[in-house]
This record gives sequence, structure tokens and C-alpha cells, in this order.
Amino acid sequence: MTNKKIIEVNGLVKKYGKLAAVNDISFSVERGEVFGLLGENGAGKTTTLEIIEGLRKPTSGKVSVLGHDIKEGINSIKQKIGVQLQSSAYYSFLTLDEILNLFCSFYPQHLKPKELLEMVDLTDKASSYVGNLSGGQRQRFSIVASLVNDPEIVFLDEPTTGLDPVARRNLWSIISKIKAQGKTIILTTHYMEEAEALCDHVAIMDKGKILAMDETHKLIESAENPFVIKFIAKNINKETFKKISSLGEMANLFGKKNQFELRLKKQQDVNKALEFVQKLNPEKITVGNATLEDVFIELTGRTILED
Amino acid sequence: MFWKLFATDVKMLFRNKQALFWSFMFPVLFTFIFGFFFGKNTSVGTIALVNDSDTQIAQSLDETISKSDLFKVNKDIAEGDIKSEIKKSKISAGIIIPENFGSLDPTSPKEVKIIYDPGNAQANSVITGFVRTYLTQASFQVQGVKQVFSVTEEKTSDKALSYFDFVLAGILGLSLMNSSIIGIAVGMSKYREDKILKRITTTPLPSWIFITSEITSRLIINLLQIGITLSIGYFIFDANIYGNMFVILAVAITGAILFQLLGFVIASLSKTTDAAQGMATAITIPMMFLAGVFFPIDTLPKWLYSAVQYLPLAPLLRIIRNVMLEAGSPFDNPTNVIIVLSWIAVCLIFSIFKFRLSDE
Repeated sequence: MTNKKIIEVNGLVKKYGKLAAVNDISFSVERGEVFGLLGENGAGKTTTLEIIEGLRKPTSGKVSVLGHDIKEGINSIKQKIGVQLQSSAYYSFLTLDEILNLFCSFYPQHLKPKELLEMVDLTDKASSYVGNLSGGQRQRFSIVASLVNDPEIVFLDEPTTGLDPVARRNLWSIISKIKAQGKTIILTTHYMEEAEALCDHVAIMDKGKILAMDETHKLIESAENPFVIKFIAKNINKETFKKISSLGEMANLFGKKNQFELRLKKQQDVNKALEFVQKLNPEKITVGNATLEDVFIELTGRTILED
Repeated sequence: MFWKLFATDVKMLFRNKQALFWSFMFPVLFTFIFGFFFGKNTSVGTIALVNDSDTQIAQSLDETISKSDLFKVNKDIAEGDIKSEIKKSKISAGIIIPENFGSLDPTSPKEVKIIYDPGNAQANSVITGFVRTYLTQASFQVQGVKQVFSVTEEKTSDKALSYFDFVLAGILGLSLMNSSIIGIAVGMSKYREDKILKRITTTPLPSWIFITSEITSRLIINLLQIGITLSIGYFIFDANIYGNMFVILAVAITGAILFQLLGFVIASLSKTTDAAQGMATAITIPMMFLAGVFFPIDTLPKWLYSAVQYLPLAPLLRIIRNVMLEAGSPFDNPTNVIIVLSWIAVCLIFSIFKFRLSDE
């Protein structure tokens, strides 16, 4: 396929009665990238994903996947996509190996269950039931089960929700492995650091709309205050605090003693501020960037104000 | 695609030990319970016989009772103990032939006394009927009279049939109904809750293959249920089965398909597994009593009968009994076949339009 755009969504609307779960969104996903849909619970991420997967019918709008319109071409689309559903369980009375074998039989072409289990390090669990897996193992299995047909596009709906940090990192490396195979991945998450680590492109959704969408690093740079200086210093009185505040957005870190955070708009401000803070004899000083989370809070916070 | 899924479905059904156990335990339990009560020797238990008379009539009555295989006779219980023994359920009734009974002396006692528990209707009718018939005959003989009016009995069937035979066919239908309706309704709702149905929809597997496999794999269980129920009835309790085994199987499997489709209807209507469970129970329990599993429904008030005769289980049981007990054909009464097929058609059409693997 010559078209770089592997998924195209145009003016997608999904209404349940009067409520618009997805309210006129458009975006496209390029071949080989990891695309992230971010948003709080109920923002419309899963609905959007399930429409693209052919599980739900759009109220209006056009969605095409791999060059096929989802209305007519859903059957050929299904051959080439792999779907991991949010918190989906699998058959209780089948072993991992048997489940993969079964799912393999649904496709004319498929990979070998053994290789799949190897990929996610579950070989020794091949003859266990899903019920006997840990949360992380279960998620790993759920992801690998979406790969049985060697799909071109993989949909992952909140793949790491509820996992501990180690299991989450483990899953990230699996996702990057899948990407390395040249597959396109579209995932939803409400963990910003996850999107920052994994996604090439992100779209931030809120109340059925896309608030912002860009390459991940550009989106972060678009933060109102892209630069952050954090420092720990004693003896900061009200007057000094005021002075620093004139440089940027100054905050006492959630009430922690002597710990401060200064958010700045421009690179020049950073130099100025550093100079100033140095004079205060700080115990520790770090300079960093805003995070996706900052952008997210800025954006969604703004919509709350609009209400 | 289909065979792999079918084999896997069968495997899962057999691995679900608990569900499997109950789908067999249920008909087995019922067959044994009814078998012990009504199967084989429909004996009404032991009766006490106290014979204080040595006349010819008394001796002959004594002998006839003792030889009858309708009940066991215990002659070692004193007249005074009969009531307490009945209360203790040691015996089901007592017959007392008073002294001099049967002698032609006008002052001699003319009545045989039967003591029974009014709660044990079955034993009572057998024993009193037995003694009455005997005494009527005896009276005629004493008076030298021949019976003028009598009854000739003609059964609608020339087959020897017992209540157990009637109820065995009922148990067969009942167990197919229960395991099929509840199995599908709860199974599919659980699959939906666990998002297994949704997960299946993301694959190219056509829904009709998925559903066909669910139904056919469960028919294997149904076949075993039928085999076990009929075997216990036939081999252990001497049930009378006159019909052709293949016709019986064909009818029973048609019934199982009907009930599975009904299970799909319930699964389409209920949002949760609990709701499906409740709805399935609400449908199966009334049907168990109103469709003629344990007793014929023509004794119901007419208005009720005219409604319940159309319940899915009712025509099915009529067909099963006609085939099993009368060696008839399912088409002897086409109305029954039409009702069953109509139910299948209705449930099928409803399921096709309403049962969705995904939410939409």
C-alpha cells in the first residue's frame, strides 16, 4: 500500500440518545507509528477505537482503515487488524496455548502460538488457564492474542491500566517490540508518561472532542510554560517569593517545605531565573521540561473553566 | 474454522466440571427418585394383617392378600399396635379380619376393618380397592348370585404403562429444557460480560459459525443426558419404552435445539449474567409444573389448560410420550409438531435480529 495514512477518521460522530460520546473528530494515523488517544475516563477514547475496529456503528462521519471504508470493507479490515480490548477476559477453561490455537483458526493466515508466547515470555505458562496468571501476565497474553494474525494494525485499549510499575515497563518494551516489527499501533491511555514514552503522535480527547493533536514532543513544547526549574531552598520569605514569581509561574510544591517549582515560558527566562535562584543558595536545583501531563492539565483544565 | 471451534467448545463443556456434573446429576437424581417411588414393583409397602377368623372365606381372603405382589404382609403385629406402627411408617396400613368373620351365623361380624393413614392416598386406594373387590365377589358367591352388570376395560393403549413411564418422558424433556435454556442463557451472558463475544467480533469469524458451534457442541451433552436418563429408567427401573430409539433421539434433540434458541432469546434480553439466570429460572420453573412433566395437564382448569398447552415444553412432551410410550410417530398429531416448529422459528428469528456478539 502506497498510502502513508493507514487510518483516516473524518468528522466522526457517535451519539447515544442526546449524548455525543464522540463529537465530530478527525485524525489520521500513519503507517508504522504509535498513535495515542489520551483522555480521562469517559472522554470517548474507547468508543472511537471500537468504531474503527468495526465494533460500533458511527452516527455519522467517515472512517477508513487500510484503504477500506469500515462500512463496506469491515470483513477485509478484520483480517489485518489485531484488537486488545479493555479489561477483556478470555475463556476460563482453555489454556493459553489452546486459546491462541483457537484464535489462529479464525484467520486464513496466522503465526504459531509457540512463537507468540515466546515473544511475551509466557512459554512456561502455555498450559495454564488465564485465571492462574498475574495481572501483568494476563495483559501480556491479551496483547499477544491480538497478534495471532500478524496484523498490520494493533489496537490496544488501556493496555497498562491497573498494572504495577514493573509490569508496566515490561509492557512498554513489548509494545516497542511490536512497533519494531513495522506494525502500526493505536493505543489509548490515561497515563501521560506512558504516552510520552511510547507515542509518536498523540491526540488529547475530552468530552468527545479532540482538544489537541500533534507529534508528542511538539505537543509538549506547546505547553504554556514549557520549561520548569525545581529547587529546594531555605529562608524564602514572601518578598523573595514575589520577586521570583515575576519571572514565571511560581509554586510551592503541594505544600512541601522549602521545595519550589518555577514554570517558564521562554529559554531566556530560564537563564535569568537560574541566575536568580543560584543566589538563594539552593540545596538542589534541577532544570527540566514540561511534561505531557502539564499540557493535558492545561488543556482539560481550560475546558472545565469554559463550562 | 468450524471444526476447530466445535472441538474446542466441546472440550470446554467437559472441562467445566461443575456445570457438567449438574447437567447430568439433575436427570439422574429425578429418575432415581421417581424410579424408587413408582418404578418396577409398584408395591405400596408392607401391611399388617390380623386374621382372627378361621372360616373358609377369611382363610381365603388371608391367602389372597398374602399372595398378592401388591404389598408385603406382616402377620406378627397385634391389632392394638397397628396405629402406632403406621405412625412410625413401619407399615402403610392394617387389615383386621374379626373373629368369626365369614361364618354364616347372622350375628357374626360382617365387616373387615382397614386402618390407614389418610395421607398415604396411593396405598389406601390400592388396599381398599383390593379388599372391596374380593368381598364383593365373596358376597355374590355366598348368595349364589352371578354378577349381572359389569365393566369391560379398554385402554387407549394396549401397552402396559405405569406412572413411571409417563414421568420418565417428562424428566427427559425437563432436563433437556433446564440444561439448554440455562446453559445458553447464562453461558452467553457470561461471555458477554467477560467481553469474549466482543473479542470474537473483532476477528473475521462469522457470528453464525460461532453460534452453530455453541449449539452443536451442547447437543453432545444433550445426547449423553438422553442416554443416561433413558438407560437408568430402562435398565434399573424397568421402564417401558416402546418407541424407536432413533425417533426418540430425533424428537429430543429437536427439543434441545428449541430450548437452546430460547436460551439465546434470554441472552439477548438480559444485560447481565444474574439477569439471565433469573429470567431462565422464571421461564423453566413454571414450565416444569405447567407443561406436564410430572402430571397430565388436561386436569387443569380449562382456561389455564388452553394457555399452557402451547408452552414449548408441553407439545414436545406430548410428542415424546406418543413416540416413547405408544410407539407412535411424531406426526400423529401435527398440531404438536407445528407448535414446536413455530417456537423454533420464533426464537430463531428473534435471536437473529436481537442477539448480538458486540454491543451494537
